[in-house]
Amino acid sequence: MTITLSGISKTFGDITAVHPLDLTVPEGSFFALLGASGCGKTTTLRMLAGLEEPTGGTILLGDDDITHLPPHKRPVNTVFQNYALFPHLDIAENVAFGLRRRGVKSVREQVAEMLDLVQLGDLARRKPRQLSGGQQQRVALARALINRPRVLLLDEPLGALDLKLRRQMQLELKRIQTEVGITFVHVTHDQEEAMTMADSVAVMHRGRVIQLGPPAELYENPRSTFVANFLGTSNLFEAEILSPQSTLGPRAEAAEKGLKPVEAGMSAEGETPERAETPAVAGTAEVSEGTSAAEVPGETRVKVAGADVTLRLPTSRCAVESVEGAEGVEEGRKILVGVRPEKIALLHPGEAEAVPATDNQLTGRIKDAGYLGVSWQYLVETPACSDLTVYEQNVERDTRLTAGADVVLHWRPAHTFALDAAQDAAAGEEVL
Amino acid sequence: MPTSTAPRTPGAAGPSSAPAAGGPPSTSGPAAPPTSGPAASRSLGAPLRWLRRNAVVLAGCAALAYLLLPNLVVLLFSFNKPAGRFNYAWQAFSTDAWTDPCGVANLCGSLGLSLRIAVLATLIATVFGTFAAFALARYRFRGKSTANALIFLPMAMPEVVMAASLGTLFLNMRIEFGFLTILIAHVMFCLSFVVVAVKARVMSMDPRLEEAARDLYAGPLQTFWRVTLPLAAPGIAAGAMLSFALSFDDFIITQFNAGPSTVTFPMFVWGAAQRGVPVQVNVIGSAMFVLAVAIVLGGQIVANRRKKS
Repeated sequence: MTITLSGISKTFGDITAVHPLDLTVPEGSFFALLGASGCGKTTTLRMLAGLEEPTGGTILLGDDDITHLPPHKRPVNTVFQNYALFPHLDIAENVAFGLRRRGVKSVREQVAEMLDLVQLGDLARRKPRQLSGGQQQRVALARALINRPRVLLLDEPLGALDLKLRRQMQLELKRIQTEVGITFVHVTHDQEEAMTMADSVAVMHRGRVIQLGPPAELYENPRSTFVANFLGTSNLFEAEILSPQSTLGPRAEAAEKGLKPVEAGMSAEGETPERAETPAVAGTAEVSEGTSAAEVPGETRVKVAGADVTLRLPTSRCAVESVEGAEGVEEGRKILVGVRPEKIALLHPGEAEAVPATDNQLTGRIKDAGYLGVSWQYLVETPACSDLTVYEQNVERDTRLTAGADVVLHWRPAHTFALDAAQDAAAGEEVL
Repeated sequence: MPTSTAPRTPGAAGPSSAPAAGGPPSTSGPAAPPTSGPAASRSLGAPLRWLRRNAVVLAGCAALAYLLLPNLVVLLFSFNKPAGRFNYAWQAFSTDAWTDPCGVANLCGSLGLSLRIAVLATLIATVFGTFAAFALARYRFRGKSTANALIFLPMAMPEVVMAASLGTLFLNMRIEFGFLTILIAHVMFCLSFVVVAVKARVMSMDPRLEEAARDLYAGPLQTFWRVTLPLAAPGIAAGAMLSFALSFDDFIITQFNAGPSTVTFPMFVWGAAQRGVPVQVNVIGSAMFVLAVAIVLGGQIVANRRKKS
C-alpha cells in the first residue's frame, strides 16, 4: 500500500517535533527514516501507527484516509524499540495476540508457521525474558507480521543488538521483506543500517526531511553539509566559483531545471555517465600544469580558498541555491567543495605524471596513517584543507606513504560535489 | 551465596596478610614478635576466616530467630494445659484446644466477624485503590498533588487520632456504631496501602506494552483486560494482601468505631486478656501463622516450577 503523508505535522506544546511534511512511500518498498535522536523520525512513525495524533495534515493508506483512525483499527503493525513483548504471555501467545484480538479462532497453525519463518519454532512455550535479544527481536517481528499488515513499521528494531547480530538481522529483515512483499517503514539513526536495507531513505533533521532518495544517490550527491557528513564522511573545503559552464552540455541543462539530483544511474555505480563522456571532451581540452584550466562543457571550475588551486566539478553537482537576482552557480559565488575520502587516490610525488590530466589534483603531506584492516586511513595536510581524510584499500600499499611523506592526491571531477557555503560545514558530524 | 559480600577487615590475619608477616622484615614492622610466624597466623586465621565468610548468614539467622521466636512460643503454648486461667506457665502437653477451637464462648463468632470485615474491606479498598492508583500514576489533573498527600495521611497519622476523629464523625452524623462503621473505617486506611502498592507497580510498567496491544488490534477495553491488568496484578495482589492483614488485625480503630454487639477477634483477645487468655487464642494465632507461611511457600514452589519448565 502506498502511504501518502501530506502536510503532516506534530507539536508538543511549544516544541515542534515534525514540521509540515510531505512524503510518499511507494507500495512494497523498504523505506527508511534516518536521523539523529530528536529529529522527529520516531514521531512520524508513531503518527503512522496511530499512537500519536497529528497536529495537522493527512495520512492516506492507498486511498483511505487513516489520519484519525485509532491504532487498533489500522492495518498497520509495529516492531517496537526494545520489542515491547508481553512479559506475562509466552512466545506463542505473544505472536497470536493480534489474531486473537480480531476473533480468529484457530491460530495454532498460523503461529507455528510464523515461528518457523523466524526460526523460533521450538521456543513457543518460553516466556520473553528467557530469550536472548536477537530471539526477542524475531518474536517481535513475527508478532507483527502474522497479521499480514499492509504496512510494517520498525522503530530502531536492531538498536539493542550487538554489531554482528545486527548485520545478520539486517540481511534477515531484508530477506523477509522481499518474501512477504509488505511495505516496510524503518526508523533508524544508523546510516549504515539505512543504506544496507532501504530502497529509499529520507534523512530527517530538526523535524524536516532534508533529502530523500535511494541510498546511493544520497551518498553520492548530498545536497547539504548535514547529509554529506551524516552519511559516511566527507572532506569539505571552501572555494569560489571561477567559471560556471551551466549552459553547455545536456547534463547542465537538466541541472538547471530545479537542480534535480543526478539520475540514479550515475549514483548506483561508481562509474558515472560524466566519466563516460569525459574522454571525448578531454581530447579537445587544453591541459596545463596538472590542473586543467580548460573550460569543459558542463563543468564548473572553482578556486580553492587560500590556495592557488583550481578544481573542476560537474555543474549539475553544485547544490547551490539561487539567491535573489542571481542563479545559484555564478562567478564569485562562495561554495563548499566536497569529496568522499574513498574517491581520492594517493601517489608518491615521483609518480605524479601518472595522474590523468583531467583529474582534480592537490599536493600535501601525510599527517597520520591509520591501519583499519580493510583499508588505510590517511590524514593529509593540503593547502585546501588541513585535515583531508583519504581511505585507501589495503591492497599493495606504497610503503613510502607514511606520516610526514609528501603526496599527490587526485580524484575525478565527477566525484566532486559542491554545497552552499552558507551552512555549517560540520553539521551532522558528531553523531554516534 | 552471601560469602562474597562479607566485609574484609583490613587488620584481620588472612591468607593475604600471612606471607607479608612471614617474609623479610617490612618497613612497618621491623620489630615483629617472633611468634607471629606464618604458622601462628594461620591457626588464628582459620576460625576468623570462617566467621568472616559466614557473617552475613549468621546475622540473617539471628534476625530470623528474633522474628520467629514469639510465634514459636505462641505455637508451643497452644499445646499447653494451663492449671489456672492464665496460660503463661508450661504445665502439660495437650491437644484439647486444637480439637475444640470454638470451645470458648464468642471466640469463633468474633473470628467470623473479623474475617467478614477483612474480606469486604479488602475487596472495596482494592477496587477503589486500584482506580485511584491508575489515575494518580497515569494522568495529570488539578489537585493531583493534594490527592497524593491526602492518601499518605492515614499511614502517617497516629492511629488513635484517626480512630477518635472517625468516632466523633460517626457520632455527629448519628450513624449507629456497628458492622458498617467498622467497615468504613477499615476501607479508609486500607485504601492508602493499596494505592501506594498499585501506583508503584503502574509507574514501573512500560507504556509501550499497552501501545503494542493497541497496535495489535486490541481496543481500549481489551488492552486493559489483556495487558494492563495482568501486568498490574502483582501490585494489586500485594495491596490486597496488605489490606487483609491490616484489617484483620486492627484493634485501635475498630475499638473506637465498634458497636456493643460487634466484637472483632482482636477485640475479643484484648477483652479475654483481662480475665486470662484461653488456649484457643494461641490455636487460632498459630493456625493463621502456619497458613500464611504455607501460602508463601506454596507460591514460591509454584513460581520455581514455572521458571524451570
